[in-house]
Amino acid sequence: MSVKAFELVPAVERLKLLGDKTKTSIECIECSGKNLYIGTSDCFVIHYLMEEVTQSNGKVTYISEKQNHKHLALRKPIRQLKAASALARILVLCDNVLSLLNMFNLEPILSGAKAKGITSFTVNDNPRHGDAFSIEIATCAKKRAVQVYVVTEDKITFIKEVAIPELPMNLAVDGFCMCVAMETQYILVNYETGAVRDLYPVSSQERAPFVRRIGKEFVLPGPGIGVFVTPAAISERPPIKWAEDVHGVGFSYPYIVAMDSEFLTIHSILDQKQKQTIPFQNGSIIGDFEGKIFVASSKDVYGLIPLPVEKQMFMHIQQQGGFIKFGEHQLIEAKEMFKGGKLDVRELICLFPNLLPSSSDFTRAVPFLHDYADINQIVQGNPERLQECRAFLLDYLEEIRGSESSAGSRMEIDTALLKLYASSNPKKLNEFLASENYCSLSDSLETLNAHKCYHAQGILYRIHGDYEKALNIWMRIQDEELKDPSFPGLEYIIQFLAKLSDHELVWRHVEWCLQKDPELTVKIFTERPEDEPPTERMRPDTIIDYLHAYPTAVIRYLEHLVFQRKLEKESYHTHLAVLYLNEVLKLRENQSTQGHVLNLARTKLRHMLQQSNLYRVQVILSKVKETDMYAECAILYGKLEEHDKALRIIVHKLQDYGAAENYCDINSSGRDLTYRRRLYQILLGVYLDPMEGKKDSLLAPAISLLNSETADFDTVRVLQLIPENWSIGLVKQFLRHSVENNMHLARTRKIQNSLSRNENLQVKYQMMKQRREPVYLSEERLCQVCNRNFVEPKFVRYPNGVITHTYCARNKTICPVTGKLFSVTKET
Amino acid sequence: MAKESETSKRKADIKVVIIGDACVGKTTFIKRYIEGQFTENTETLGACFYLKQWGPHNIAIWDTAGEERFSGLNSFYCREASAAIVAYDITNPESFQRLHERYIPLLESAKDDCLLCVTGMKLDLEPSAKFRVPSSEAEDFSARLNFDRYKNQDRYRKPFFETSSLTGEGVNEVFEFIFKTLLTNGKPLAPQKSLVDLEKTPQPREKPACC
Ligand SMILES: Nc1nc2c(ncn2[C@@H]2O[C@H](COP(=O)(O)OP(=O)(O)OP(=O)(O)O)[C@@H](O)[C@H]2O)c(=O)[nH]1
Ligand SMILES: [Mg+2]
Repeated sequence: MSVKAFELVPAVERLKLLGDKTKTSIECIECSGKNLYIGTSDCFVIHYLMEEVTQSNGKVTYISEKQNHKHLALRKPIRQLKAASALARILVLCDNVLSLLNMFNLEPILSGAKAKGITSFTVNDNPRHGDAFSIEIATCAKKRAVQVYVVTEDKITFIKEVAIPELPMNLAVDGFCMCVAMETQYILVNYETGAVRDLYPVSSQERAPFVRRIGKEFVLPGPGIGVFVTPAAISERPPIKWAEDVHGVGFSYPYIVAMDSEFLTIHSILDQKQKQTIPFQNGSIIGDFEGKIFVASSKDVYGLIPLPVEKQMFMHIQQQGGFIKFGEHQLIEAKEMFKGGKLDVRELICLFPNLLPSSSDFTRAVPFLHDYADINQIVQGNPERLQECRAFLLDYLEEIRGSESSAGSRMEIDTALLKLYASSNPKKLNEFLASENYCSLSDSLETLNAHKCYHAQGILYRIHGDYEKALNIWMRIQDEELKDPSFPGLEYIIQFLAKLSDHELVWRHVEWCLQKDPELTVKIFTERPEDEPPTERMRPDTIIDYLHAYPTAVIRYLEHLVFQRKLEKESYHTHLAVLYLNEVLKLRENQSTQGHVLNLARTKLRHMLQQSNLYRVQVILSKVKETDMYAECAILYGKLEEHDKALRIIVHKLQDYGAAENYCDINSSGRDLTYRRRLYQILLGVYLDPMEGKKDSLLAPAISLLNSETADFDTVRVLQLIPENWSIGLVKQFLRHSVENNMHLARTRKIQNSLSRNENLQVKYQMMKQRREPVYLSEERLCQVCNRNFVEPKFVRYPNGVITHTYCARNKTICPVTGKLFSVTKET
Repeated sequence: MAKESETSKRKADIKVVIIGDACVGKTTFIKRYIEGQFTENTETLGACFYLKQWGPHNIAIWDTAGEERFSGLNSFYCREASAAIVAYDITNPESFQRLHERYIPLLESAKDDCLLCVTGMKLDLEPSAKFRVPSSEAEDFSARLNFDRYKNQDRYRKPFFETSSLTGEGVNEVFEFIFKTLLTNGKPLAPQKSLVDLEKTPQPREKPACC
């Protein structure tokens, strides 16, 4: 949630501050109570009294009055100022010397209170020794060491020094722990024990490494981020994302303000998120002084004022008002006020006993928004009112669920909703659970159990990724061990298993499903997600092996492999054909089988035998031959290309002449004309075979075949086959048809021939024209192969116009530049 | 009025870090585990933090950044880690090579007996990839990294996993393995009281005392 936490307000008017001294700039600032001190680049310390004024419109401004100034006569900038109000002193760092001034008249304390060789210092706000009349400071020395001093009214006393590997640049301190930025590395130093621990390297982009104490932690810059470090040298918070060139931070709980060259960015340490951005050009100084943040550029000082709390107060009052209305049972008004006041909805949920999940870390806001112990006190035992209040809560939760302001209490909202649905609307409950939600697992399970919403329990387990438990519950419902009418049934379990990526778990439940319904169970394997990566466990062969004991299931699965997935594997096709065949054989043996059932089974078998080319024909044929299943037999002979046998069966056993013609048509599809003609020829031969004795009865089908529109014949061979004694009348139609056809063919060929000749002529003409074009060979002309000049008149020209030296033309049929191949034809 | 709702301040029992080359899918992996779904993430800046409850235990999970400019910080974020998920992209052998060169050294600062789980990511891409890090090689690597931990056992489950944050395959197993190994001596989590104790009537919630 983005907020407006601060406003930038000028603290001192520029004119009052530096007047017309254009070269002077602000070097450091310090604020203590109403006193504002400014150190300048030309060695002045200036003291202001600064009043915070709230205007009638709620805006805050500063009115500041200059009190005094002091020139330290060192011709060096004032590096650092720090007020010690308990001692009535200011610590001043200038020209690597730390000294004391009187806090009010700025007069130097001349009692020898000085420390030299210091590049920066910081006050230890949490010292382990000392009393009210001294302060402890930690300093960066001008050598490879950090130091500790104690400052009293008139003395600066050296206490301790710890050597470190590099020059210190900046430091912060808490207790005994110093966090130090060196030139290339951040470290922690315990000045009690002298222990030094590395943190991480200073990245090269950081202009001036800095460290800052924030509560019990330190914050220091990393590449584009602010890193939190505890005195134990670890991090307990994720870093804050900020700009690459952040060069200082201020802290006012719970906000960290980071300064880069263009902006002040405000982050909350509670969630590490950025909350607000304030443009601020060329900021150079930022500091927090007794909880107030001030920033400065080289000429101006501003305060960051936290936004008026009235706004927050107003929201608080609205929330309180909401509860009053709620107590008076004016629910519509209550809702408006809760919403307007952006109520933390958990305040409302916790009014209802047992609705707030035990895992919630919610505690009521202090001071309390209302004095009700719980909802019973409001409805006073009136069950109707209680029901209305629960409905109100349900409605309110549904409304704010998913809104940005409720993001922090998703778990509580969803768990409460689940509990309310469980007691009132089981159907809605299942829908609610199936969509994304944040319900607390243990709490919800308890509630669902109490309301016997077992299916919902299963769904909840599934959402929390505990598929095993989910399956367990659903299976128990299916087995009627648990009763839940909202459970959709076995199909639901099967669908779930079909989508489950944990194959091991799937396999553990297959057996149970198979016992319930083998055919439905196959869906576990046939409806797997398309993008599921293939695994050893889900290999078709493994599955087939497993299903072995359930033939109907195997058939279903093989049908899926063969017809849907179109897998071209011999063993699947053979297996399926064998299973179909067995089915048919079984049905035939059983006397009571109804005709249409058998027919259906045989149709399936024939369809398979006809469509597939992959099964092992001999295997099937050896079994079929022993029966009187002629149609199947014929198909199988057809697959073996033993057409004569096949057609004899169709003609003599089945006596289905239409089927015989059809056979020729089907088996010649995709083959050339000769093959097709041969098939029809064979059929004619079967009809006319004198050996079979019944030739007369086959006369009619023979004639009809000859006259058929679809049949194709080699006329000459037909004539050789036709018995001498046939009258012309019988074959008249066939003959006429053949003659006509052949004539037509001959004429078409002639036309084609002429057209081709014509085309050939035109091509020749083009070629002649091309060849007639002269080739000019000049000095500038280069061989297209070696890119050198032609020095003699001989050259090679390829048909595509490429010109080369004779010795560069290695192969006269292949263009050396384009690789084009020219055919060598003899010219006629 | 404001209440600290920071998760990070709750004390964690153990710290788990994930390290590995940029873009191998570390953030996606952690979020898959925490949120139970595949998410698209931008490059991690510095590090990221998640707190997970596993039974009575609080576990701090730190996601680090693979990008080279954060490498100085990574060893800091790995400090005191009890377990590290050493991540590589199964379809990118280079990311596996780099583990040894660049990422394992970061764990100097982790606990001495830190458990190192070598974990391949993006298993779902494997069928379409040209190259693949051989499972046996990664498994051997995991055995070498954890030599001290298992030196007195001849047969043990190697801390090696292949996962996909897209399908979710293997993701939970990695964390379950770590938690079981470190917290319950290899045993599954004992069921929580509230799950079995159906008879007991819930205690009335105590009103928080005002301070
Ligand atoms: N197909 C597939 N893609 C993945 C998987 N995990 C991650 N990715 C993709 O890989 C890319 C990088 O993922 P991240 O999780 O951001 O990688 P990272 O390791 O955190 O990268 P850094 O934060 O830069 O160190 C993203 O585009 C993801 O969508 C996976 O399991 N399968
Ligand atoms: Mg990442």
